[in-house]
Amino acid sequence: MSESILHVLILLPIATAAFIVSRPANEAKTVALWGSLISLVLGVVAAFQFDWSNAGAMQPEVSLVPWLPALGLSISVGADGVSMMLVLLTLLLGPICVAASFSSIKHRVKTYYAWLTVMQAAMVGVFIARDILLFYVCFEFTLIPMFVLISIYGSSNRKAAATKFFLYTFTGSILALAGLIYVIWFNATRVPVEAFAGAGEWSFQIDTLRQAAVRMSPTEQGWVFAALLLGFAVKVPLFPVHTWLPLAHTEAPTAGSVILAGVLLKLGTYGLYRFAIPFTPIAAVDFAPFIGVLAVIGIVFAGLICWVQDDVKKLVAYSSVSHLGFCVLGLFALNTMGQSGSVMYMINHGLSTGALFLLIGMVYERYHTRSMRELGGLAAKMPVWSFFMVFFVMASVGLPGLNGFISEFMCLMGTFQSSDTLAGSSIGATPGVLGPVFAILAGTGVVIGAMYLLMMTGKMVWGPLREPKGHDHDNHSELPDDLNAREIAVLTPLAVLCLVLGLFPTPVLKGIEAPVNDTVRWVHEHGGLRLYRDPAPARVTELSPAGVVTPELAAPRAGGER
Amino acid sequence: MQTTTPQLAETIGALGLGAADTGAAFEVATGPAWAMLIPMLPLLGAAIMGVCAIMGVRSKLPAWITVGLLGFSAVLAAAMYAWLPENGRAVSVAWEWINVSWGDEPGQTLKANFGFYIDSLTCLWMLFVTLLATLIALYASEYMSHDLGAGYCRFFAAFNLFVFSMACLVMGDNLLLLFLGWEGVGLCSYLLIGYHYKKHSAVFAAKKAFIVNRIGDLGLLLGVFLTFVHFGTLEYKDLFPMVQPYIEAMRQGSISDIPALVQLIPVLLMIGAFGKSAQLPLFVWLPDAMEGPTPVSALIHAATMVTAGVYLIARMYPLFLVSEWALPIVAWVGGLTALVAATIAMAQFDIKRIMAYSTVSQLGFMFCGLAFLSSVGGAFHVVTHAFFKATLFLCCGAVMHGFAGQLDLRKLSGVSFMKGWGIVGIAMLIGCLNLAGFPFTAGYFSKDMILAEAFITPGPGYQFLGVILLLTAGITAYYTFRVFFRVFVGPKHFEPGDELHGHDGHTDDHHEEHGSSSHGANSDHADENGHTPGDHEPLGGSVEERGKKSHADPEHFHPHAPGWAINGVLVTLAILSVLAAALYFFPGADKAHKGWAGGMISGSTAALVVGGEADHPTRLAAFVGAEPEQGTLFGQDPHKIMYYVSGVIGFVGIAIAFALHYAGRKESERSSADNLLQVKPIRTAHRWANAKWYVDELYDFTLRKPLWAASQIFHLIDKLLIDGLVNLVGYLPRALGKGVRPSQSGVLHGYAAAMAGGLAVILLIVLLLSL
Repeated sequence: MSESILHVLILLPIATAAFIVSRPANEAKTVALWGSLISLVLGVVAAFQFDWSNAGAMQPEVSLVPWLPALGLSISVGADGVSMMLVLLTLLLGPICVAASFSSIKHRVKTYYAWLTVMQAAMVGVFIARDILLFYVCFEFTLIPMFVLISIYGSSNRKAAATKFFLYTFTGSILALAGLIYVIWFNATRVPVEAFAGAGEWSFQIDTLRQAAVRMSPTEQGWVFAALLLGFAVKVPLFPVHTWLPLAHTEAPTAGSVILAGVLLKLGTYGLYRFAIPFTPIAAVDFAPFIGVLAVIGIVFAGLICWVQDDVKKLVAYSSVSHLGFCVLGLFALNTMGQSGSVMYMINHGLSTGALFLLIGMVYERYHTRSMRELGGLAAKMPVWSFFMVFFVMASVGLPGLNGFISEFMCLMGTFQSSDTLAGSSIGATPGVLGPVFAILAGTGVVIGAMYLLMMTGKMVWGPLREPKGHDHDNHSELPDDLNAREIAVLTPLAVLCLVLGLFPTPVLKGIEAPVNDTVRWVHEHGGLRLYRDPAPARVTELSPAGVVTPELAAPRAGGER
Repeated sequence: MQTTTPQLAETIGALGLGAADTGAAFEVATGPAWAMLIPMLPLLGAAIMGVCAIMGVRSKLPAWITVGLLGFSAVLAAAMYAWLPENGRAVSVAWEWINVSWGDEPGQTLKANFGFYIDSLTCLWMLFVTLLATLIALYASEYMSHDLGAGYCRFFAAFNLFVFSMACLVMGDNLLLLFLGWEGVGLCSYLLIGYHYKKHSAVFAAKKAFIVNRIGDLGLLLGVFLTFVHFGTLEYKDLFPMVQPYIEAMRQGSISDIPALVQLIPVLLMIGAFGKSAQLPLFVWLPDAMEGPTPVSALIHAATMVTAGVYLIARMYPLFLVSEWALPIVAWVGGLTALVAATIAMAQFDIKRIMAYSTVSQLGFMFCGLAFLSSVGGAFHVVTHAFFKATLFLCCGAVMHGFAGQLDLRKLSGVSFMKGWGIVGIAMLIGCLNLAGFPFTAGYFSKDMILAEAFITPGPGYQFLGVILLLTAGITAYYTFRVFFRVFVGPKHFEPGDELHGHDGHTDDHHEEHGSSSHGANSDHADENGHTPGDHEPLGGSVEERGKKSHADPEHFHPHAPGWAINGVLVTLAILSVLAAALYFFPGADKAHKGWAGGMISGSTAALVVGGEADHPTRLAAFVGAEPEQGTLFGQDPHKIMYYVSGVIGFVGIAIAFALHYAGRKESERSSADNLLQVKPIRTAHRWANAKWYVDELYDFTLRKPLWAASQIFHLIDKLLIDGLVNLVGYLPRALGKGVRPSQSGVLHGYAAAMAGGLAVILLIVLLLSL
């Protein structure tokens, strides 16, 4: 895969946005749609160029556009299997979000589509960044378009929601930045030059810093991990730092919700996967049970909250908190099953929850309410909508044969396997610190998920038709009763992907397996977890295995730490 | 021919029980590719139904396509049976489904193909599943004909999807594909129970079925996890050889060699089985599932889907055998469920619900059969029950169809003698005789196989359990014939139900009423043909249907007798129910095993001794660790005496029903059983049984309501405490800013004063430090 195609994937949306601004307002949506479609095509081309047999490696092998060489600053892009999948998800949701906004956005159209398009550049940038600077710039930049989308185009409480979203996640990111800067500083000043290429200088390369970071002492790792965790956990969002999400989701316009659920939340889990875990493996192992507890609480707590919601959009928003709990749990299973499952979860959640937000948006456009007290039994009036609703609810519930099951199963399986105790006696277990208890507790989320999603389906889809009072009188919408062709076209690709990923997930699984295996091996090697089937004792909690942290490095810090 | 790999042998060695015999007994052949069509044809059917719905087909075309495809599947299932080599196992792989690998060693790859495992157990199940599905689809073509159009397509789409899922469940060559089928049939069950989606009770029942099943599914899923973690594979062809060492250990009486984890697996799996097969404590969904159209009740909730739990245990039998507690738990759960459900069935008035409870009860018998080490009896009872229970349900469905949804046995009488209802009456009689265990019917033989084993197999309280089951058999005979004597014979009388079809000229009436409840929306498929569940509403069920007075004028109501499709299917099923008895004598693949079912079971993993032959006493000794002594009943060999005992008990049950509900019934509504209800203890017992022993209410009060309250509290905590803290943190800087703002006044001397003050403080600090 050529480097330039990745550059184009970032630059094209920006160019599109500029073009949108330069053209009259009535052309904005067409331009945005074409721009995002071209991006998607380019993404698919990139995926074809990508060497999937070597999905574990960053491609292209070398990518360095010097920026400020004196400071070691450069723009460096690349993708491995995991990044590629997430880039494809982002690019897929692009045209869908644009097309879904056609009828709902009526004022300040140019601003809307311009920011929506710019957003895409930033998100792609996060996934293909190979240096921390590009990553962080893109990571933070996503806040601005989303802030604009929520605060201008959201519903009644949009200002508060946008502010909260911005301040909350921004505060988190600052902490993550502090952690990353510490690693950069550590590499420049504390690692001997001869240790590896790029050591001992001001480097922003993720690969370099990863090698440097694992040389930090467990205490340093703990602090860096805590900083990174706080930053990324807010974005995920992990219980208890999730409260911005229901508000932001409820107030955001449909496309905003789709992007938020589909991609923005994944920036958090991606950050955990790309930085927090491989940079500070010892801390990741130490913190894993703690994070596992938070994830399980999130799954159950948010799931039960969903059950008592009346606002259907808030219900789906809380369900994201619950679902992302599985995703985080899988990550911290620290084995291939769990982490592959987690990456699959990122993709699948983007598809199915994105689709649920689209469906709810379609109903909102017709009825201007999201309350399940006022609205229900839509199967009688909107059979096509109902079909899609039931379909995506089932994908979200984790019905086998659809995509959600694959990832949910893998996350839970990974969690179950991840047990040092079991690994001693059972061949299917892996080293790890979670284990069956976490899987059982998280498994209750599967039942709770069925409870709230079927409650929602039971009210929204089934039962006698309920419409808001006076609906027929003030319905000036140009939309037909049931979905129109555009709306069906928006939902169909998502539905097809849900089905395909549910029945033939192997191509995707194989694509993410290699990079995940690398990460897992790295973590096991440097995190003090027992290597696979290694007869050595289960865990080394104190200093890591020989050669990972050199004594002369560890010693001065022990005393000189502030 | 693909034999077990050296890697597998190594894995078995790694389990620490010595090298096992992984020789010829575990050879797995490559199955024929056409076997994959058995599940794929119904899947194709579901897709075609979707196309029909889009194209707006308003004829019976969907039904004929379905019948054709399912019929072809049934033929292929028969071909698969014919193809099956003796003791043969084969796997046909369609495509790779899930494959995650993190190493090359055993246990480091999780592989689950869309592959189909073909052995005699698979054949046994697929034969009756596809055959019944075809017949019931034919029946439904007429039964659902009032709903031609989108509803018809929707019905048959889910119907096809169900057969696909069931085939995956039964034929899957790994536990994950089984799980796909397992949840898939749950989905179809959900969609079909909720077919009349405008009825609250149907929507509620559908949701309840799905969620209760999910609880069981979680158990199954955990069992799958544990299976993989311990054995490192989910594929049957690798899994069963690996259980073999444990079976050897069990044989040698050294149960302590079997790790606790392995013994836990069947306990987790059985939770799934209890959910799907509606056993205690998860049986509450099945009676409510009767909200679905009757063909669905017959196929899914009587004959096939609910036997999935029995299939799971039969399929995983080796694992159940090596667990000390698994089978006794199954026995007690099954036995108690059989009794409890039978007592409830005695006190119901809705004939379809009586059949539902009867299904729960009979499933209990099947579980007992498995637990009494008679997987043959369990499986045989599955087959006979599938046919006669489908017959019974379809007869009830014909009545419901003909009498505008009437199902109350107090409001129907003498149906058999009405014009055009003779076939229904005879089919019903055959079904009832089977269910009651009347001598020489199929149900009699299959039930006897289970009952006799209760007195033979040593186990915790099995003798007592046998007595419970005998009592249940008597109750079964009573409640079955209570229905028959009240509804099908006696003086001719009926009150139509409150759901009239268009052809009675009440269409406008009907639609108007629905119009009012649905804000004038199109009531194309309003809930015709649902039914009124009388006085047994599920918790939270709707009240509105209950109070609705029939607007049918009995004077002008003519029950419409079933047409050729319904009658034809009933005749076929009745004949098959009778013929099923012959299977008991039909020698099957080899003579050593009892009947055809015995032959089928002995060649599969459900055989008591995998890959070997052993006579009865030895295998008992092998698995229970007891002396190979034969248990007795009244001092006789239970196998022989049971023919008489259960025959007599069946007669007694039927005789009581006859006395109370035929001889003792002068008018249609009242029978002398009602006089018994004047006696206080009986009245109380009746009330409790009629209310299903208040299990639903118990769950509501102990689980649902507390959970609901907890959820509300969580919501408050989330809003006030967690988000409150966040807001507080957000507020602090602002408050701080407000406090500090006066100092930034822009007044120059203010700044000067501050500077001077600051300087003074610093100097002071320096001074103090230097002291």
